[in-house]
Amino acid sequence: MPKQYGMVIDLQKCVGCGACALACKTENNTQARANGQTYNWADFIYREEGSFPNVSFTAIPVLCNHCSDAPCVKACPVSPKAMFKTADGITMHNDARCIGCRRCQKACPYSASDVVKEKAAYSVISANESKEAPHAAYRDATEMIKGCTASGAEVAMVAGAIPPGRNQYDHPDYLSVRNKGIVEKCVFCEHRVKQGELPNCVVACPAKARIFGDINDATREPAQLLKKHKPMRLKEEKKTRPNVAYIRSFRPASVS
Amino acid sequence: MKIRRREFLKMTAAAGAVAAVGVPKLNAFAATPAAKAAGAPKGEWVPSTCQGCTAWCPVEFFVQEGRVVKVRGNRFSKANGGYVCPRGHLMIQQMYDPDRVKVPMKRTNPQKGRGVDPKFVPVTWDEALDTIADKMMELRKANEPEKLMYMRGRYSPTSTDLLYGTLPKIFGTPNYFSHSAICAEAEKMGPGYTQGFFGYRDYDLAKTKCLVVWGCDPLSSNRQVPNAIAKFGDILDRGTVIAVDPRLSASAAKANEWLPIKPGEDGALAAAFAHVIMAEGMWSREFVGDFKDGKNLFKAGVTVDEAAFAEKQTHGVVKWWNLELKDKTPAWAAKKTLLPEDQILRVARIMGKGGSATAVYMGPGVAMTPRGTYTAMAVYALNGILGSIETEGGVFQSSGAPVEKFPSADKFIDEMAKHHGHGKKIDGRGAKDMPAMMGGKPGSGVVTNNVANALLKNPDAIKVFLSTWSNFNFSCTGAERWDKAMARIPFFVHMVTNASEMSQFADIVLPATFAPAEKLTIVGNMANLHGHISIQQPVVKPLWEVKAEETEVMWLLAGKLKAKGFANLYDYYASFEDPETKKKPANAGEFAEIAAKISSQKVWNGKEKMKGDPIAGWAEFRKRGIYNSETYAYKKNWGKDNPETKKFEGKFKTETKKFEFYSETMKKALGEHAKKHNTTMDDILQVSGYEARGELAFVPHYESPKRHGGDKEYPFTFIDYKSRLNREGRSQNTVWFQEFKKVDVGDESWDDVVKVNPVDGKKLGISTGDAVRLTSTTGSIVTKAKLWEGVRPGTIAKCYGQGHWAYGRVAAKDYAKAQPRGGNNNELLVDDYDRMSGSTARNGGFTGVKIEKA
Repeated sequence: MPKQYGMVIDLQKCVGCGACALACKTENNTQARANGQTYNWADFIYREEGSFPNVSFTAIPVLCNHCSDAPCVKACPVSPKAMFKTADGITMHNDARCIGCRRCQKACPYSASDVVKEKAAYSVISANESKEAPHAAYRDATEMIKGCTASGAEVAMVAGAIPPGRNQYDHPDYLSVRNKGIVEKCVFCEHRVKQGELPNCVVACPAKARIFGDINDATREPAQLLKKHKPMRLKEEKKTRPNVAYIRSFRPASVS
Repeated sequence: MKIRRREFLKMTAAAGAVAAVGVPKLNAFAATPAAKAAGAPKGEWVPSTCQGCTAWCPVEFFVQEGRVVKVRGNRFSKANGGYVCPRGHLMIQQMYDPDRVKVPMKRTNPQKGRGVDPKFVPVTWDEALDTIADKMMELRKANEPEKLMYMRGRYSPTSTDLLYGTLPKIFGTPNYFSHSAICAEAEKMGPGYTQGFFGYRDYDLAKTKCLVVWGCDPLSSNRQVPNAIAKFGDILDRGTVIAVDPRLSASAAKANEWLPIKPGEDGALAAAFAHVIMAEGMWSREFVGDFKDGKNLFKAGVTVDEAAFAEKQTHGVVKWWNLELKDKTPAWAAKKTLLPEDQILRVARIMGKGGSATAVYMGPGVAMTPRGTYTAMAVYALNGILGSIETEGGVFQSSGAPVEKFPSADKFIDEMAKHHGHGKKIDGRGAKDMPAMMGGKPGSGVVTNNVANALLKNPDAIKVFLSTWSNFNFSCTGAERWDKAMARIPFFVHMVTNASEMSQFADIVLPATFAPAEKLTIVGNMANLHGHISIQQPVVKPLWEVKAEETEVMWLLAGKLKAKGFANLYDYYASFEDPETKKKPANAGEFAEIAAKISSQKVWNGKEKMKGDPIAGWAEFRKRGIYNSETYAYKKNWGKDNPETKKFEGKFKTETKKFEFYSETMKKALGEHAKKHNTTMDDILQVSGYEARGELAFVPHYESPKRHGGDKEYPFTFIDYKSRLNREGRSQNTVWFQEFKKVDVGDESWDDVVKVNPVDGKKLGISTGDAVRLTSTTGSIVTKAKLWEGVRPGTIAKCYGQGHWAYGRVAAKDYAKAQPRGGNNNELLVDDYDRMSGSTARNGGFTGVKIEKA
């Protein structure tokens, strides 16, 4: 079987703490929410059911599903495609070929063109504003207390990067901070994976709830977990064959 | 349709041949990845210590080109296993906060008050310190050094001794106060007056079979978050998790059983659990002992003969039953707690079945209430009855790692300092109605929040006030009192990272280091059955003119005082010696480093064989960042029969050396306090607001919850809880805090919602998203309502943290206009105390609230 990178998220281990999503932001230098775009490559949805005191709450970490039949890839109009599948099954995005048409965002069942207007809890794909460079807050030169407190622009200048905590890395397809006028999304931290490291959300999860690897390799943990437990995938009815799967339950059964 | 990029450019330029979705402005002129050739800078992991909560996690920062870019747990840490909780990542934005104070600043508007612009202007460190030294010297010259006050916020447990532990003594003031009593001090009364351990507990979560999370949410806060997160999921495989909390916390959401107790009724539930465990014979025979003839005489309503029971590691179990437990049936507790009787019974049996591998993990929700000492004892005593004290899967006293004290300052204390330094402290500890008997010693506990009352009562008491990493105007209940009190302080110096609410009252603000990434010191803590010390150090060059308040600032200030004729403080600091090179400090930086070396030397100087990690020297310690102690041995403090004397020799630090269900330790301390005030213990109990009289005061027992505001006018009971992203009230100016606020169960990003049960919402005509005004007997805030099933009708819950009206432009809705984002719970919560400990009440539903549409 060809290699297919995927992720198994163990909801019993997951506590919904948010460390994965924050670690993603530190790794990939994603900017702050603006213009209906979240820029959260890793995010969460929540399900609350029942009424007091029989309430059930579930947190579900979400990220790009790296679908085997990825509608975002199909929708990409440029050739060669800016959104494409790698040999390892990652849904990859090439910044240089992207024309910012946002058809991928429209096509993706897990994305919204504008999370505010569409009242979407999250969006896998975010689009960078076409006019303004990313990380506007670190280009703002206003001071809260004149001469006494810093400004975003000054922090960036003195630190030497935008954003000041920018994690610089190299990848042939994408930059560590994406340019204006293109889309961006989770790429399973391929810049790390290629160096033999795991995606940063995986290494940062204090519950060890995220298991990454080739889901077609029966000798490895992801495949074994998928065999052992009955996995759940988001919006399977869309038949995109998502490669992020959820096992076990966030809320255990009551002992009563 | 296939399009090449070049063609697309042509086409769109031609006449919009492609109806592109959204805004397809091309990045034609932007640098492409290919244009930026290979060669991203390498980075390195540098160890330090997070102080975003009381876990004080050893961490590592990933540093690239002198910039901090990522965070993880220190890979050598046995407390966190190399992981941080979400708070850790926020450090990057906190450090690179655009609103940080970058230079010293002084006030130019003499008027002080909330919403009054201090009109700060920048000054040099030299001018700032000169001004401070002059103000301090005026006090010495006027023979009133006691009018200097120092209040400590977040601190380093070692270098605090150079400021908190030194400055007041050498200068001559008794008025130095820690923030501790607004945190969770009352918790310590539980293990303190039963087991003689006045401290925070550790747990063997890797082995626990039944975890009872009570009045806290270890997945979100409470002293070992990464460790709790790491082990929680496996406990669900191994056994059972029980959560006792009035609101659906993260732990409750993942628990097998959620007991949404009526706020403040925890003592009733604890008593019923103990009642069932004893009546059904599920107590630990090994720890507690047994009836002499083996027959269980604990029957509901029946008094038991003390002589019939032979205790082992404990003292007074039958007295406890007779005085308190015999009538505390699940049916009785069900009425108090509003929990179903069958659930109380079922959970008691689960706990009993877990036996000594049942860990009752008690938090501030139990204890930080107006009568919290007894509730803390009642909940903690369950560990005693189950015998889970220092057992596999059980509850432990804290672990430590060796730290060397600084040299004694005694010979630098002059006559004036000696005389004035021993005067009465203004926080009221030890007053008849404020026993504050932490550690078994009456009058020894700090009463942090009472300082504001003292300042209001006697405005002349303090003329010069120094404070570090604090924000009492935001973090103390009855917050408005601090606004009034601070407005009257003639000269206030605040050493902080941000222009906080309290800073608005400052005459001088000194820019402090962001400790986790910029301060050099040694920090110690424990979790997962190991103690440790870890380094906190400047992992990169700080961006601004910041200084470490406990070391560098003190060195420089001491120099100024010396120049003005008072050399004692400087002479003391200058007497320090580098433990390696024997060199004396010549400047502030050297002083900080020598202090860190002195504190940590035992673990790396090779003089003593350490039982924990072997470390060859200071350089290695600094690189590794941590020393872990040996593993805590099970039953370490259990007593044994001495084979020679045939006598039992206990090791717990109580009066009887046993685990006291009947607290002789409490009896002694309370007796001492009563004697000091020439009165009876019952009188003390009465004036301090407790219900117990006589013998009942010496056993863990139920006290009914105190509530400010009558049910009619203030029909809702208010619950405050902590955010898993809260860094002690300091992370709200980060975008990431706001963006991921939703990770707190039931909360909303970029917002501050009060959770109201839909039944109540309907009655009030309030819907989700409505602006509402909450009013208590103390104050009023406006916030947003959210109808939510995770809280019972009649109770409303809101997270602490939002409501900043200063601090920064993200935290506040409008900094310039002093407008808050959301509302600060502390403006609602009433200034009240658990007077036995001196702790500020903030839990247990002691504040009644009314809700109106705003």
